[in-house]
Amino acid sequence: MGPIRFAAGFLALTVLAAAPAIAATVTDSAGRTVTVPDTISRVYAAGPPASVLLYVLAPDRLTGWPRAPHAYERPYLAAPYRDLPETGRLTGRGDTANLEVVLRNKPDLIFDFGSVRDTYISLAERVQKQTGIPYLLIDGRFENTPEALRLMGGVLGVDKRAETLASYVEDLFAELDRTLAKVPEDQRPRVYLARGPDGLETGLKGSINTEIIERAGGRNVADPGPDAAVRRGITQVSIEQVIVANPDTIITWDRNFYGQVWTNPVWRGIEAVKRKRVYLAPTAPFGWIDRPPSVNRIIGLKWLAGLFYPDRFSFDLPAETRKFYKLFYHVDLSDEELDRLIEWASGRP
Amino acid sequence: MGKRTALRSTFSVAPPALTISGLSVAVILLTLFTITVGPYPLSVGQILEALWRSATGLGDAPAGQIDTVLFQVRIPRVTAALLVGAALAAAGTVYQGLFRNPLVSPDILGVSTGAGLGAATGILLSLPVIAIQGLAFAGGLITVALVYSVATAVRGHEPTLVLVLAGVVLGALAGACISLVKILADPYDQLPAITFWLLGSLAGVNPKDVWSALPLVGLGLVPLVLLRWRMNLMALGDEEASALGVDPRRLRILFVAAATLITASVVAISGVIGWVGLVMPHIARLIVGPNFDRLLPTAMLLGAGYLLIVDTLARTMATTETPLGILTAFLGAPVFLWLLASGRRGW
Amino acid sequence: MTTLAAENLGFGYVRFPVGHSVDLRVEPGEVYCLLGPNGCGKTTLFKTLLGLIPRQDGRIELDGEDIGDLNRKTIAQRVAYVPQAHTAVFPYTVRDMVLMGRTVHRGVFSAPGAQDHERTAAALEQMGIGALADRDYTRISGGQRQLALIARALAQDAQLVVMDEPTASLDFGNQVLVLKQVRKLAASGLGIVLSTHNPDHALACATRVHLLADGTTQAAGPPGDVLTPEILSRTYGVPVAVEQLRDGHRVCVPVDLLD
Repeated sequence: MGPIRFAAGFLALTVLAAAPAIAATVTDSAGRTVTVPDTISRVYAAGPPASVLLYVLAPDRLTGWPRAPHAYERPYLAAPYRDLPETGRLTGRGDTANLEVVLRNKPDLIFDFGSVRDTYISLAERVQKQTGIPYLLIDGRFENTPEALRLMGGVLGVDKRAETLASYVEDLFAELDRTLAKVPEDQRPRVYLARGPDGLETGLKGSINTEIIERAGGRNVADPGPDAAVRRGITQVSIEQVIVANPDTIITWDRNFYGQVWTNPVWRGIEAVKRKRVYLAPTAPFGWIDRPPSVNRIIGLKWLAGLFYPDRFSFDLPAETRKFYKLFYHVDLSDEELDRLIEWASGRP
Repeated sequence: MGKRTALRSTFSVAPPALTISGLSVAVILLTLFTITVGPYPLSVGQILEALWRSATGLGDAPAGQIDTVLFQVRIPRVTAALLVGAALAAAGTVYQGLFRNPLVSPDILGVSTGAGLGAATGILLSLPVIAIQGLAFAGGLITVALVYSVATAVRGHEPTLVLVLAGVVLGALAGACISLVKILADPYDQLPAITFWLLGSLAGVNPKDVWSALPLVGLGLVPLVLLRWRMNLMALGDEEASALGVDPRRLRILFVAAATLITASVVAISGVIGWVGLVMPHIARLIVGPNFDRLLPTAMLLGAGYLLIVDTLARTMATTETPLGILTAFLGAPVFLWLLASGRRGW
Repeated sequence: MTTLAAENLGFGYVRFPVGHSVDLRVEPGEVYCLLGPNGCGKTTLFKTLLGLIPRQDGRIELDGEDIGDLNRKTIAQRVAYVPQAHTAVFPYTVRDMVLMGRTVHRGVFSAPGAQDHERTAAALEQMGIGALADRDYTRISGGQRQLALIARALAQDAQLVVMDEPTASLDFGNQVLVLKQVRKLAASGLGIVLSTHNPDHALACATRVHLLADGTTQAAGPPGDVLTPEILSRTYGVPVAVEQLRDGHRVCVPVDLLD
């Protein structure tokens, strides 16, 4: 090779090296084709559901949390990641992110995990154009969890891990479906999700807030019927309606409500309270039922299945919890932490 | 004869005592009817039997939740609807007289907004319901106290005008603080709770709520009833009232304090419900005239009946609860527009 | 019998003084007439005399006691105020408006009783508006409203009545009616203080006249001494003649309009 050719080749190599890493094109859940860099080391999660997905897949890419973790949540997050700064949220209810702050963090990618409706598509397009940073939308429906894990796993280059997590979820879904197939509709427990301090806020059947209950094989008593006019979301009910519905199981994550439901005269007569089937869902580091509606619900799904069908599901709560937290959340739970977490998850003795 | 005088002469053929008695009977009948209405099936027979049982102690307890539904849920809720409606109407009547303006609602000095701020803060801090109610009550009282202090510090010619302006400004400030609380609140958890509270509802009312609000409202009503004649003089303005032998400043403080106590007590258990305190005194005035002597009981009866009807709709209209604030707005706003259109001088 | 006296009175608003150095004295049975051009401070003076506005200088005495030491109820029991007729915000009946004058005789917590209703009816009859008793105050004419306000002052049973331009919104006939009433009330022993624009009204009923201009007293005394052509012309800025009718009654005549 002559010196000129060598120089040319060397020049070519340096140019190539200096050029941005070779990009790949990805099709996100909304059908958008987005060009993403090959190496993604910093990712901005646009909302809490996305941050959970990112945390379980590749926590080292997190630039921060949409909301700083509460003190009681921190022990349940792995060590360096629990101290990441608060970076606000970009979508959904209550935008608090300043685009300049987002840019200052220099993410290689922004993504959101949740709705892929038009509003969110237009938001994604806008931010992508404004900042020049690729923006992905991933479908956050519960059923879609394995796909979501695999899709993001591919983008982030952690395919093996994504596969492990996705298989866990798929196995759980499959086991559930197998078991539920044997249980006729009328033998399934009638469940009420009690939200808020007075327990009179609930999610209607089919809403994102209660889909986990329905997936675990429970029948949501907040069922307005096939009335299409009713929106599927959170609503308020009167205690009389709950008494009429008379659920045999109540799930809540509000400690105030849980503390008083046993002695409150209006709740006392409801079947669930009489049979001591009121359960307090853990909420650290993320809620088991909701809050946010993301991958964190998987452990909740397992837990609910065990509560609803104790005879059909062998579910060792402490052991499974430990396993899940290690696998998904990268933490080893001490006995004390575990006890505190699942304190009332088996119902008040 | 205009529509308004026609309306008045229709009723004033009957002396006001008759009108008030008639309204009382109507409200009582309405109450009895609404107790029988609700998602839990309760027949009139079962209700009477349950009442007899609790009064005499005889008879066996029935299967099902009849007693719980009747005594813990329905009767308290119906009572609360009557209480809240009457209280808001009373407060509205007082404020309209004090400020000599028929377009005034009980929230003019910011009591509802202050209560909303208290409740929102309670929800933000994840406090139990009773603490949220307490904060709401305190928030309402503190806001009006602040408004009053500001108004007396700024001494102007027209004390009522200064009071209104201070109320508007501090009410707006409290509203901004509510927005701030909403931003800080967890959007999955606390924000919906705050939203529902601000829309007003009697869905969660229990006997304790009624027992705590009732004496406070009663306490607030005492000065209003005792001083009902002097309220009329306040409608003439400070100078004339002084010349007629009363101290308008002292009367005003007393009336504002009483009306605020009444409003804060009920807003604490029901959330923010608008339009009742604005529209009911109007309609009452159309029927019995502005003499506070007759106006106050009439407005209270109308308010009680109205909110009872609205709350019954709220809990039976759809399979889920409809917030009261929405219903009263949808019903109240058109009525108010009609009132504006049809009656000009002399409300 | 109530006497109202002011000595070296300065009156006005906090940073806006209106008048000064006013001396006056009203005895029972008198008609004390305050006369003066627009803006000379009559209404402000009245409000100060009644204690509704704090005085800026001097003394005001009601039956020898400083008015600042008396509470509103005591003042109202002795002095009644008839403001200029106004519209009210709420449609009280005329009867209710007059009844409000009885408040000062009731306890703090009581409502009007039978005696109050009687007194009210009597006052309405005295002013000739008994037929209007159940009409809305907001729907009668300005003149009728003025009569109602005077009836209210009568119902108050005070010994002294202060009237702020009671003839301002009345038609000719009603003006005469009011002035006749004023004379009758004074004859029955009440003390009346009233203000007017019209020097003829002063000539018609006043026992003493007080001419106010630029916030100070221009002249004060019996009508004959004060309502002279020179003083009137100077005060109003137009030439005024004072003519005498056959029966001795005097009237003012604007010279410029004579030819």
